[in-house]
Amino acid sequence: MAMLDANLHPAHAHKPTQFQTLTVVSVVLALVNMTWGLIDTRMVDGAFVWMKPLKFSLSFILLFATLALVEKRLSERLRSGWLMLLIGWVMAAAFLSEMAYMMYQAARAEASHFNLSTPFNEFMYTVVMATGAVVLVACVGLIGWLVKRDRNAALTPTLRESIWLGFLLSFALTMIVAGYLSGTGGHHVGLHPEGAATFPLVGWSGVTGDLRPAHFFSLHAMQLVPLFALWVERRNFANPVKAIRLFAFGYAGLTLVVFAIALAGLPLIPLG
Amino acid sequence: MTPGDYFSFAGAAAMTGWVILILGPRRFWWLNAVPLWIIPCLISALYAVLVLRWLSSAEGGFDSLETVASLFENEWALLAGWIHFLAFDLFVGAVMALRMDRVGVGRLVQAPILAATLMLGPLGFLIAALTELGLRLRYLPLQTPNLRGVNHGNA
Repeated sequence: MAMLDANLHPAHAHKPTQFQTLTVVSVVLALVNMTWGLIDTRMVDGAFVWMKPLKFSLSFILLFATLALVEKRLSERLRSGWLMLLIGWVMAAAFLSEMAYMMYQAARAEASHFNLSTPFNEFMYTVVMATGAVVLVACVGLIGWLVKRDRNAALTPTLRESIWLGFLLSFALTMIVAGYLSGTGGHHVGLHPEGAATFPLVGWSGVTGDLRPAHFFSLHAMQLVPLFALWVERRNFANPVKAIRLFAFGYAGLTLVVFAIALAGLPLIPLG
Repeated sequence: MTPGDYFSFAGAAAMTGWVILILGPRRFWWLNAVPLWIIPCLISALYAVLVLRWLSSAEGGFDSLETVASLFENEWALLAGWIHFLAFDLFVGAVMALRMDRVGVGRLVQAPILAATLMLGPLGFLIAALTELGLRLRYLPLQTPNLRGVNHGNA
């Protein structure tokens, strides 16, 4: 029963890194939430209760997988130093408490965000969830800065610049968009009638302003800017670093436009 | 002793095991043995004597949901069923904790998974098991060499 044996042969034992482990835990939580979705038809605020934890776990897979890929290319000194260990711990604590609370609230068919109905719910949303969210994006920004400074990282100048700018944008844009979002009473701008058209899976409103698309674009700058850099590296650009900077600038502008569309009370794409 | 006394005793014993498992150090083999072997065996022994003494006097059976429900109308059978949870959940939690140590899952990540095993047994087990499987699929060998001899005892 070798598969059941927890003894690892020393010759094969390579300890997974923190972000590799967190990636796997996110995948597991996504699978658990998908399985939950097979049987639970309860709704909260017009969406299936398990939809939010599912979407967050999918987003966490992207976050931690990206960080695991970046971590692998850092210099040995930085990778095994106390700072990366601390960042991993802080992000793990924020990720796990956010997911635990969202799944707990979903199981009770209660909202986890914007829910101030009891002192406990209010504490969890305004303190635990808010701190967790800020900590997560701040750590992304910090890792971006470390990548920029780590001279011995196994990264081309193009990739290094894209990771720095992408991570910085994820931090800065999310602070703007989600900071504004958390100060409002909910993600819709204007009235989204029950049962009105929404985007598939993500559930963004197709009839009125919705702040979540801008939140989505701001969070995922950290994937899209480096992906653009990978594409740039395969074509012979005269000045690839400048191309990255232009792309990052344009991406930030696009995100702010999406944000402005929502603030104007308009859907990203009118549906129905 | 009333069923309530046994309930409190078994609950306190199980919680001691969980606190050691979630918060305690893993450096000492004798401390690891407390939630893994000592407390589960203690609670299992209590289960064994309760079942041997009381099960024959309870109504019901195991063949349908209705007969199981009538079985648990007996207070002693209900107590035995609850103690069964306590013993097995703790043992499973301790086994999965040591397995997660082996595949390199940190204590911070283990804590909520073990807490889920404490509160909702199979849900926590599922998360722990899939986490180990995922790490093995992606980063570690799925099949370890058939370990005969020296390594076999290091459960």
